[in-house]
Amino acid sequence: MSSSSRSSAEIAPRPATLRDGGVWIDYGACVVRVRSPIAALADQIEVVYRAFPIQQQGEFADYHVSIDFGRGLRRHLRPTCRFAIDGVEPFEPFPAASALPMFEWGVNWCFAQRGNQFVLLHAGVLARDGRAVIMAATPGSGKSTLTAAMMLRGFRLLSDEFGVLDPVSTELRAMLKPVALKNRSIDVIREFSPDAVIGPTFRGTRKGDVAHLAPDRASTAAVRQSARPVLVIFPRFSEGGRLELKPQPPEQAFSRLAFNSFNYALLGPLSFDAVADVAAGCPAYELAYGKLDEAIRCIDELLAESRGAADAA
Amino acid sequence: MRPESRLLAGRHLLPLLADVTHLQSMSLADWDGTLRLARQARLLGVLAHRIVRDPELLSSVPEAVHGHLRSSINFAAHRLQMVRIELAHLEAALPAGITVVLLKGAAYIAEDLPFAQGRMPNDVDLLVARRDLDAAESALAAAGWEAETTDAYDQRYYREWSHELPPMRIPGHALEVDLHHTIAPVTSRTRADDALLESGLRPLPGSRFHVLSAADQIIHSVIHLFQDSEMAGRLRDLVDIDGLIRLHMRDEADWQTLHERARRHRADRLLWFALQYCRAWLATPVPQSCTVGQRPPLPTRMLMDLLMRHACLPLIADDGEPRVRGIARGLGQLRYHWLRMPPTLLARHLCHKGFARLAPRSD
Repeated sequence: MSSSSRSSAEIAPRPATLRDGGVWIDYGACVVRVRSPIAALADQIEVVYRAFPIQQQGEFADYHVSIDFGRGLRRHLRPTCRFAIDGVEPFEPFPAASALPMFEWGVNWCFAQRGNQFVLLHAGVLARDGRAVIMAATPGSGKSTLTAAMMLRGFRLLSDEFGVLDPVSTELRAMLKPVALKNRSIDVIREFSPDAVIGPTFRGTRKGDVAHLAPDRASTAAVRQSARPVLVIFPRFSEGGRLELKPQPPEQAFSRLAFNSFNYALLGPLSFDAVADVAAGCPAYELAYGKLDEAIRCIDELLAESRGAADAA
Repeated sequence: MRPESRLLAGRHLLPLLADVTHLQSMSLADWDGTLRLARQARLLGVLAHRIVRDPELLSSVPEAVHGHLRSSINFAAHRLQMVRIELAHLEAALPAGITVVLLKGAAYIAEDLPFAQGRMPNDVDLLVARRDLDAAESALAAAGWEAETTDAYDQRYYREWSHELPPMRIPGHALEVDLHHTIAPVTSRTRADDALLESGLRPLPGSRFHVLSAADQIIHSVIHLFQDSEMAGRLRDLVDIDGLIRLHMRDEADWQTLHERARRHRADRLLWFALQYCRAWLATPVPQSCTVGQRPPLPTRMLMDLLMRHACLPLIADDGEPRVRGIARGLGQLRYHWLRMPPTLLARHLCHKGFARLAPRSD
């Protein structure tokens, strides 16, 4: 696996550290302590978490997880790895070489299972000046690709997978993780910007080829800051298609956000109120696009408009 | 019993369950492990409710812990809703002529007992008289409940040797329903007195359901902990017993009733153990007179101590499970089967399960 160089002032998670005490990673909405004897995982974390302040000692972690080698005799023939949190192993073992995708999915699983103090929308979230755009996910929407591209054009990335809505403050929290790019998006993003730092490509996982884009320093530095939702976008990628913007009435935005969330039903009235507030307070659009830069320019204009509207009000 | 402070759960989890103001002495690092233990024991929701009830207490909890408390309160609220939905379905499905008793979590929810706030029930436990079992089962089947297991041996095991039918569920529903005809496994050496149970039933106002008498609720929890589980990770059963005692045992007469009924259900020794651990671990107000005299023999007490300390209590096993814990869990399983089944039946059961594990499954 390739391993990019980092400045010596930073502390890289050396394999021994990851194996013995583990490292503490702050995602914003939660802190995860991870331990693993898999040396390659330490190298991969070093690449895709390069901008995160990684602690080698922590007083507190929300989730303590581990990625260990698989058990049994077969591990000598075909090494596997398994993800565990407090003795629970939610997935079948992966090939040992895919420790990073397993770690990433594992953390998503923990947060989706246990983060029920938040409404967990299935959405990417990006912000400028503390004003957040919710990029709602629908299958084939190209949400991750557009999210990645927006970060590379200067948006602050809060999250790619979870729109973490705090029902008490009605603000969005960061759940900042490497962006999982799939299949063709990997090359699209690589070509989109020379600044893109992308980890190794894992071929033939359950979700096809996967590679992770490292969040930038501006995003990691703001990981503990909330952002106010001001705009909802339902992206739809169409190959070579023209930019097309279609306003969504609030009731439609509500149902598309709510019924595509991880824990809407579980939270009952709490999530109803929180999602209804977002739908009522934020203009929502379906955005069909064929070119990333066109879509980003359009979103920037919508953001400026919503600020103007807010100032006028 | 030896001091509990040497056990991980004894440092903060048990003191917190005994008296929630213990949290005032806890650091953020103390919370780190305690949250993991409480969640593993499925007691985080109960703890969270006890904490948020007192805003001043809540304000001395570190900020990083608040999200975990809120999350477990939200999750427990969802479970509560699922139980209520299931009870509404059951209310409509069960024939009016049959007396149906709610057991454990469903009973505490229907009675709206404060100590049970934050519990996270996995199922709804019902009790009917044996004579009503067939009628109740067919009514549930007609209303859409389906048995979780279709395996012929498992079906026979439940029907002949257990005190409940195989779990049933309406496809798509979150909770399963366990239909019992008594509160202790029928082949076990503890035999609840069904007539006595029936004579103590309390109707629930505004509902078609009944609940057990207060003393029988405690005894049922005791039997459930010590006879109907392998004891691993069952601290929450002891917390239920503690809650029921604090709620219902008001004077000497209540304690006399409890002991008398335990004796008639042949659960007096199990009750002795439960009271012992309640007092030692959860500071339950148990009169001294309840646990002196009639002590079980020393070897029994030692075995129970091993099971309670190393199997019942949760543990953080980041560096693998200590050997003593593996042994305790193994003994817990052995004891569970030994108590439920006479030796010949046990041998037959283990043979079947052993072969079933070797043979490839047809499904």
